[in-house]
Amino acid sequence: MFKIARGRINTMQVLGAVIFMIFQVVATLYIPNLTSDIVNKGVITGDTNYIVSAGIKMVVVSLITVVAAFGNVLMASQASQGLGRKLRSDLFKKILYFTHDEFDKFETSSLTTRTTNDVIQIQNVMIMMLRMMIMAPIMLIGASFMAYQKNAEMTKIFLISIPILIIVVGLVMFFAVPLFKAMQKKTDRLNLVFREGLTGVRVIRAFRQDKFEQDRFKDANADYTNNAVKVFTIVAVMFPVVTLVMSGTNVGITWLGAHYIANQSMQIGNMIAFMTYAMQILMSFMILSMVFVFVPRASASAARIQEVFETESKIDVVAKPANVKGDAGLGFNDVNFRYTGAEKLALSNLNFKVTQGQTLAIIGGTGSGKSTLINLIPRFYDAETGVVSLNGTDVKALSTEDINSKVSMVPQKAILFKGTIRENMAYGKDGATDDEIWHALKIAQADDFVKELDGQLDGEVEQGGDNFSGGQKQRLAIARALVKDASVYVFDDSFSALDFKTDLNLRTALKNDEKISQAVVVIVGQRISTVADADQIVVLEDGKMVGLGTHQELKDNNKTYQEIIESQLKEVK
Amino acid sequence: MADKKPQAAPANRGHGPGSHGGVVEKPKNFWRTTGRLAKYMSSYITGLIIVMILAIASAVFQIKTPKILGQATTEIYKGLMTGVAQQKAGLKIKGLPIDFTKIEHIILIVILMYLASAIFSFIQQFVMTRVSQRTVYKMRRDLKSKMQRLPIGYYDSHSNGDIMSRAINDMDNIAGTLQQSLTQLVTSTVTFIGVIWMMLTISWQLTLIALATVPLSLIVVGLVAPQSQKFFKRQQASLGLLNNQVEENYSGHVVVKSFNHEKSSIEVFEKENSKLYKASWKAQMISGIVMPLMTFINNLGYVLVAIYGGIQVANGRIALGDIQAFLQYMNQFSQPIAQLANLTNTIQATVASAERIFEILDEPEMDNSKVDVPNVETDDKVTLDHVKFGYEGKPTLLEDYNLNVKPGEMIAIVGPTGAGKTTIINLLERFYDVSGGSIKIGGKDIRNMTREQVRSHYAMVLQDTWLFTGTIYDNLKYSKEDATKEEILTAAKAAHVDNFVRQLPDGYDTVLNEEASNISQGQRQLITIARAFVADPEILILDEATSSVDTRTELHIQHAMERLLKDRTSFVVAHRLSTIQDADKIIVMNHGSIVETGNHEELMAKNGFYADLYNSQFAGNVAL
Repeated sequence: MFKIARGRINTMQVLGAVIFMIFQVVATLYIPNLTSDIVNKGVITGDTNYIVSAGIKMVVVSLITVVAAFGNVLMASQASQGLGRKLRSDLFKKILYFTHDEFDKFETSSLTTRTTNDVIQIQNVMIMMLRMMIMAPIMLIGASFMAYQKNAEMTKIFLISIPILIIVVGLVMFFAVPLFKAMQKKTDRLNLVFREGLTGVRVIRAFRQDKFEQDRFKDANADYTNNAVKVFTIVAVMFPVVTLVMSGTNVGITWLGAHYIANQSMQIGNMIAFMTYAMQILMSFMILSMVFVFVPRASASAARIQEVFETESKIDVVAKPANVKGDAGLGFNDVNFRYTGAEKLALSNLNFKVTQGQTLAIIGGTGSGKSTLINLIPRFYDAETGVVSLNGTDVKALSTEDINSKVSMVPQKAILFKGTIRENMAYGKDGATDDEIWHALKIAQADDFVKELDGQLDGEVEQGGDNFSGGQKQRLAIARALVKDASVYVFDDSFSALDFKTDLNLRTALKNDEKISQAVVVIVGQRISTVADADQIVVLEDGKMVGLGTHQELKDNNKTYQEIIESQLKEVK
Repeated sequence: MADKKPQAAPANRGHGPGSHGGVVEKPKNFWRTTGRLAKYMSSYITGLIIVMILAIASAVFQIKTPKILGQATTEIYKGLMTGVAQQKAGLKIKGLPIDFTKIEHIILIVILMYLASAIFSFIQQFVMTRVSQRTVYKMRRDLKSKMQRLPIGYYDSHSNGDIMSRAINDMDNIAGTLQQSLTQLVTSTVTFIGVIWMMLTISWQLTLIALATVPLSLIVVGLVAPQSQKFFKRQQASLGLLNNQVEENYSGHVVVKSFNHEKSSIEVFEKENSKLYKASWKAQMISGIVMPLMTFINNLGYVLVAIYGGIQVANGRIALGDIQAFLQYMNQFSQPIAQLANLTNTIQATVASAERIFEILDEPEMDNSKVDVPNVETDDKVTLDHVKFGYEGKPTLLEDYNLNVKPGEMIAIVGPTGAGKTTIINLLERFYDVSGGSIKIGGKDIRNMTREQVRSHYAMVLQDTWLFTGTIYDNLKYSKEDATKEEILTAAKAAHVDNFVRQLPDGYDTVLNEEASNISQGQRQLITIARAFVADPEILILDEATSSVDTRTELHIQHAMERLLKDRTSFVVAHRLSTIQDADKIIVMNHGSIVETGNHEELMAKNGFYADLYNSQFAGNVAL
């Protein structure tokens, strides 16, 4: 936890919080001293003037307390929330520049949790530390010192009450902590069963399993309830016992105090002050015990955050790129690739070349390596051996930024961002004109439904594009890629969510567009009809290129290709 | 399908540690909802009464003790003063004449009272835990069984996130409040009144001084609370926006990167991040300052009491022990004020939570009324007779639609993406009821059967491969409770499930997890097919897979589906030409409604929408 805070938290603010806290504690501890003076020197001697002047001193000291507390809170909240801001910002920057490999390693949902919830956890514990937890030890030491000064003999009462307190809190934690952990699991189970009841409602009803669902939920519910009852019963023991220990200490002080006063080894005002110090000591102990609850929770979050920071990005511009001669276009030359840690090559011996104005199609079953191949072009991954070249340059010699300015890509899953249609369309080209956008929408067969939207280009896109159907999202994603000026356009299985007719219209429009027809177009597809009219078709199977040619050539000579045709168009020959 | 209502479901309602306050939601109808909530607890009325009595008793004891313990101090003081007087008179004394028997007596009473108070407090928590947990148990049970009686339309029009948030967060809120806040409410009230009473018995003048600080506290709370509310609200809103940004950018990182958008994404993020920082440190700061301010006000009162009391004691008008007791009361008395102020917020939030849960419980349930449609003699398996239908509040999709399905026929449903192909399934399975006309199975209107009876005729395989978290075996058994092991294994073999399951370390006992990370999507699809095999239904509803699975699994799925379809009446949402051409009837859908019905030849001859759709497959003039 301290590791991730180092360098990110404002040390001056932390120092300030500590200093203010010391002031606050010292002032707080001074007040009982004044009370005892009032009794010893004022009340017993009947000196009203002394009482008033001591009283004014008390007000001043109280004022110091409140000012110090104010300073502490100010520093603590700025330091803790500032730490949160810095952590979030560092995480976001780091993660946004992650490569595919790293995203695969963590998964998006986990990265999101780390950036949001885990940071908040740290923030919360940090402010508690800067306020309560540093107060406890200071208070403990200060109050013990003061109590010892008032009456050294009587401090032995703590030899009884503090061990009792530790034992009680320890026992409760010993029994309650495992139950609290179990409770988390049982809560998860309860949520899971309820959520499955929502997501599976059609299947559940279709198979008439409502009763089974009810029973399953009942079990989870009962299990959770029983555990909760146990946990809270144990916690219910703690509070009264702690109160009892504190009250008992007070009683003990009165009893011992009476004896000390009787033999004149202590003044009565000191006894009253001692009681206050005693309470402060015991309270500090309670606060300190909370450290054991909160710090482990935060350190789990801290560890998750640290893991992200320690991940080093792999892809960098290499110093000595292969010297590839050639003209504009895209080339794969003896390319081999394997995923990190994998034994088998994911792609092997890829060889092909596409020049400007040509269309390359890639076909093969899922798992055959189509998407993997595509991912090598923008350097989402780097080839192990061989060269992927873009306009005659080894991509390893280019920064991802360079590549991405030349390659426009439509990923398999259509992803849109919250905002307007226009903002989404101009994502790859700042300041794209409305004409350009409409043109792209038209090619993508998306102009019809965009025209029907409220506000058309100003129409709203909800988070994740949830207000559009799957097919519409896909077409918008295609249009977005078309707005961008690039020399290579890549469509990663982007047409499969479209029906045959839309698919055809789109491809025809692509072919007839001036800008696109001069670029390299790479289409990954599963349907024969999607790939059939490409200039070259790469047939992939298990990461190997088993065929390269036109539809006609492959249809005549390529077994895998024939099989694919067979499976898709069984009866039509 | 009906639209998902974009309901904001605040996942974290700000109950994190360290946040005093947070944003409070106000209930619409406080008393009515509170009354309903009370009804839920009414069966535990004895327990609740015991809790209340014990809470009061425990608080009373806790209040009484400082005064009694103060008597001990007074005794000591008396002895001290006598001693001082004696010394002044020149007497040599060994010790001060303190009455230890009396002090012993007082201390004994005090210890007993503390003990009693602790025991009462424990019993009270003990009972309250059970009452609150069982009440919430009942509420959860009722909510779950309500979910069973709600029509599918409810599920389609409410986001899962919203329902989950009610079932989880709101339930938690209620449980927490019942557990803690109710007894706190009683204890705080009793303590507040009791402490004032005790203070009055000591000295009404001192009490007045103490009470003078109350308005000051109220001003602080009144000034600071709305401010902190404001910043907490801002913080919450900022956090929500930031969460969305993070989620969007991470899940869309492929796009962010390939469009070189990292810098502008970071810029937007930093802006919101700064806003969040500003709102959150101020929120923390303002809520954090309340305690020190309250303590300061309390100290002011303390000083005034000490001064005035000191003078009184010096003059012999008040006993020293009483002042000591009074000062302790001063501490006890500011606590319940702060607590009560907090409680009003908590209770409001809880009632708002309860309101949201009752909202679901009050939703109209499925209509089980019968209709006056006579049974007819027919050899049809399924008949759609002048069917009219549209989703509630949406335009009519089907008007006067007729279809006769003979036993063993295959009906294909085709159409472009988003054409509303699931509507037919919704009607057949009685997820929705027709708004006119009639759907019959074997000549009997399905509204005159229970939904269970209707569904017992069907088995369904959807693209959404829902399986519950449990073993593969239990998932297969799901469609037929009394299925024998033999039946299940046969089904598994027929659906190409047996092979890969046997390769799993735990075989059929493998527990499928929610994220389905332990088997592939294609394998899940196969399991859903096997599940339908186990059901061995008269009529099959099948949604052909378009989702990408590897070629081999795809072949398996295709093969398994063919086997499943054999000799069965079926409705197939078809994507495959072979299926479509084999179908006895094809329902062609577009924009939610049915545009054409007929077999392949008829529809091709018609040269309409279907012919268009079909021909587009071969476009590009590719010779196949």
